[in-house]
Amino acid sequence: MKKMLALLLASMVLLSACSSAATNKTGNESETNGDGKEKITIWAWDPKFNIAALNIAKDAYKAENPNLTVDIIENAQNDIVQKLNTGMSSGTTKGLPNIVLIEDYRAQSFLQAYPDSFFPVTDYIQTSEFADYKLGPTSFEGKNYGVPFDSGVTGLYVRTDYLEQAGYTPADMQDINWDQFIEIGKKVKEATGKDWLTMDPTDLGILRIMIQSAGSWYLKEDGRTANLQDNPVLKEAFETYKKIVDANIARTHSDWSQMVANFNNGSTAAVVSGNWFTPSIMAATDQAGKWAIVPLPKLTNNANSIHASSLGGSSWYVLNVPGKEAAAEFLGKTFGANADMYQKLVADVGAIGSFKPAAEGEGYKAPNEFFGGQHIVSDFAKWTAEIPKVNYGLHTYAIEDTILVVEMQNYLNGKNIDQVLSDAQKQADAQIK
Amino acid sequence: MNLRARNNLIGWSFIVIAVIMICLFYFYPMIQALILSFQSGTGTNLTFVGFGNYQRLFSDTTFLTTLGNTFLFLIIQVPIMILLAIFISVLLNDKNLKLKGFFRTAIFLPAVTSLVAYSVIFKYLFGPEGLVNLFLLKLNFISDPIQWLSDPLWAKVTIIIAITWRWTGYNMIFYLSALQNIDNSIYEAARIDGASSFRQFTNITIPLLKPIILFTSITSTIGTLQLFDEVMNITKGGPGNSTMTMSQYIYNLSFRYTPDFGYAATVSYAIVILIVIFSVLQFKLAGDKK
Repeated sequence: MKKMLALLLASMVLLSACSSAATNKTGNESETNGDGKEKITIWAWDPKFNIAALNIAKDAYKAENPNLTVDIIENAQNDIVQKLNTGMSSGTTKGLPNIVLIEDYRAQSFLQAYPDSFFPVTDYIQTSEFADYKLGPTSFEGKNYGVPFDSGVTGLYVRTDYLEQAGYTPADMQDINWDQFIEIGKKVKEATGKDWLTMDPTDLGILRIMIQSAGSWYLKEDGRTANLQDNPVLKEAFETYKKIVDANIARTHSDWSQMVANFNNGSTAAVVSGNWFTPSIMAATDQAGKWAIVPLPKLTNNANSIHASSLGGSSWYVLNVPGKEAAAEFLGKTFGANADMYQKLVADVGAIGSFKPAAEGEGYKAPNEFFGGQHIVSDFAKWTAEIPKVNYGLHTYAIEDTILVVEMQNYLNGKNIDQVLSDAQKQADAQIK
Repeated sequence: MNLRARNNLIGWSFIVIAVIMICLFYFYPMIQALILSFQSGTGTNLTFVGFGNYQRLFSDTTFLTTLGNTFLFLIIQVPIMILLAIFISVLLNDKNLKLKGFFRTAIFLPAVTSLVAYSVIFKYLFGPEGLVNLFLLKLNFISDPIQWLSDPLWAKVTIIIAITWRWTGYNMIFYLSALQNIDNSIYEAARIDGASSFRQFTNITIPLLKPIILFTSITSTIGTLQLFDEVMNITKGGPGNSTMTMSQYIYNLSFRYTPDFGYAATVSYAIVILIVIFSVLQFKLAGDKK
């Protein structure tokens, strides 16, 4: 009996040792050492763009506060999303960074799902200095949680040499609609044999660009109710998408590297994308001087549609973990105030933020030789200011991936458009809560 | 305390640690998940909705699609794999076969590869310009590359080929060991009675392998119902939702879109219920009273 008791006791001790070891470790990434040095951790994706921008900010901040160590960790975007969801829902802040980059489409989903996990930065930035359309996704219940960064402003990148063979110049494309865009594409394909576009059937980014250009979205203003049936903008975007496919001017790709390859090897003449695509175009140095960026086409039959939209922009968020003040301070002094730093950002990285005062600087006015001396940064900055503000809501990707991609295929195979959108609406209402 | 009680106590004390651990790491999470499955909401803002989530299952077209996909994989892939495994194991059990060890290792080897690693390799093999298409094109079996990953039907075929390649060898090992336990004198007697090889196979081998067939089909069924790594890495559930499985849907609900852990737990319990139903069904069909 004594032996058994001893065994039981021993196992108790063992168990409690396990559990206490676990609780003791819930320390944090940010620690203040004796000599007043502080350390913050940042997660972001894309080494050529976001990480490069962070490194510039880190250098710029050294002058402000040499005591802060900034640790930048690169993660794929999907991994960041997953890690945040796991970490925040478990209720422990261990292992989470101080600052994280979140895509605007997903921002509300995080802010509303984990309201206590984020730290408001309202006191650290002047919200009026940022492009208006960025403030919706980054704020919740009247507080700003994100420091707006990548504008995601869209433009139409075109090969000028192919255009010329078809008898066009970039000047002809300054104010066109999607129908004219398709016509030009057909002519270019006739004249050069090159495809006009490249598309991924599972990625409806171009649809998002079209509807935002007319101030509409998959979700209504409340960010929760699907806005698919009886949405004239979405209907026209679907019809335009089908016209592009039917015109037989687009080749397909299934991943990012194939897409970039289609441009870099010269087999595709145009792309509608966010400004973050610039570095990928410029990677083909032999094509220098052959590209131009013209304004986004607008929807043909919609008076509200303008030549500006956004695709996949992102912003910085401070997590509610020890070290948050230092982290917010870091963001406020760099991405939130330092117009000079933004000049370096556009010159070195091509990253166009959404910080309005930066547009006055020299870097924004410089011509880009790769694009035939075009002032691409000031053009993008001009379009950024015009981007219509929409509420991306909670379910952008859930609606697109699970419903619209499937219904788009049905539509392309001949299903009636009104039926397509009403079926999509029904599915969305049933699935999205 | 009498001897019997004392012996009992000592016996229990040996398993007490295991019992505590199992309760802590199996039953406690299971019960928590069950409670979670009656809640809904985004992230940490969960509220009780009663059976709302379970009702939602039946009107959720994506869930029904994933259910259909999973069943399709199950109905087509498990029988193919089981038959193939039996066939190969009988071949490899042949006494006159040379290089037996080599063939056994070669066929078992896929089972030791990492799920993610082999999935990524299959993705490249079956790409539009991948090795498989290249091979078929060069041999003039086809004139245009097959869209293994972007056509809804072919994508399913690709997944089935992949999991069959990965798991056949694993099941074969069970059959091999079972075959070696069959007394050779039974076959000898059958041969003396003039039974053909085929007759021996259907009347001796198959009935004696029955418990193993039952075991492998149950484990394969459970494995297929939980299929995740392959679709996640090869097709990402696409094109559209045409290869998405239930497990992947759980992942998407929890980590990809606005998280709804309550509903994800409900889908998990739907899988549990299905596994129980299938296992019972297979026991009944096999006719064992054990």
